[in-house]
Amino acid sequence: MLEGLKKSLRKITRIFKKKKKIQLGFYGPVNAGKTTLANRISLDWLGEEVGAVSEIPHETRSIQKGSIQKVEDVNIETEKGSMHMNIIDLPGIATQVDFKGLQEYGLEEEEAKERAKEATKGVIEAIKYLDNVDAVLVVMDACEDPYTQINITIIGNLEARDIPLIVVANKIDKEEADPKAIENAFPQHVVVPISAATGENLDKLYEAIQEHLY
Amino acid sequence: MDIRLDFISAEVLRNRSTPEKISFILERIKENVIVVLEEGLTPQEETGLIEATMKDTKDFHGIEFYRMDHTVTGLRERIASLIAGKKSGLTIVGPTRIVEAIKREPDYISMFAKVEASKKKTRAKKTKKKPKKKASKEGKKE
Repeated sequence: MLEGLKKSLRKITRIFKKKKKIQLGFYGPVNAGKTTLANRISLDWLGEEVGAVSEIPHETRSIQKGSIQKVEDVNIETEKGSMHMNIIDLPGIATQVDFKGLQEYGLEEEEAKERAKEATKGVIEAIKYLDNVDAVLVVMDACEDPYTQINITIIGNLEARDIPLIVVANKIDKEEADPKAIENAFPQHVVVPISAATGENLDKLYEAIQEHLY
Repeated sequence: MDIRLDFISAEVLRNRSTPEKISFILERIKENVIVVLEEGLTPQEETGLIEATMKDTKDFHGIEFYRMDHTVTGLRERIASLIAGKKSGLTIVGPTRIVEAIKREPDYISMFAKVEASKKKTRAKKTKKKPKKKASKEGKKE
């Protein structure tokens, strides 16, 4: 019942918030390219990058430690008009954090343990932050199998909370990318293939945000 | 080593609250038991399970899980399943110490387990073995 009330409240708020500033959350599994995308958007519209990008999983770890990238007051112009938003780059969602796995990326044991500990906090905080977003970009790596429980759980939660979303099939600059697989996995949602690294199709993403989320 | 799978009927979890369901599952996961739920969790319960797992990774690194009915997410499909009384589908939850990956193939789900990684005794091993009855031999004598 409480969830239903929250849902209705969110809908009403969204009506009044329409065409004002939205809180756009970036959700997705670890290493899908959320921070690269946040940086790209920030660079395009504010002229500066916001977060460190790394091959090592869980680079964006904890909201409390300030590792969450919040890009405030972004004004994006498209042919259909302008959008005003805060972009929130959240830690990647994971069901497991193994510090030994992190050591394979060259981290010392203590550093790997600390990063793993922060990563677990980051996952919890990212889940809790679902209550604070108006719309979401679910960022997936187009080179990976999209049928993962993480993707399914994220999208299921957004659907249950009635939060509008776009699926972003990232890393299409890579040879092995298969954005079609993501479209087939989530046919009920708008899927926009992009490369956050090269900026390919970013204009299409902005148009999709304008059309479906703003 | 032994691998234990607990198959949990829908009735067992249906009347439990979300925290109770999560505890029920995680208690088994910590004992290296793979849990197969006849009726899966809701997406909110799934995030609750991830949160609870992340709060408690001292004893184990995490979980692998998969719910088999995720294609029923469109509004039309959801209404159709509600009318048909269809609940969320079979769900596998396992500790990453044992379950390496659960992958969806076009016609089936594959679970990859690593037997050697599980050093902890399962609950199945903890139960005392009943002494063998001599009835069969004695019966033969009679």
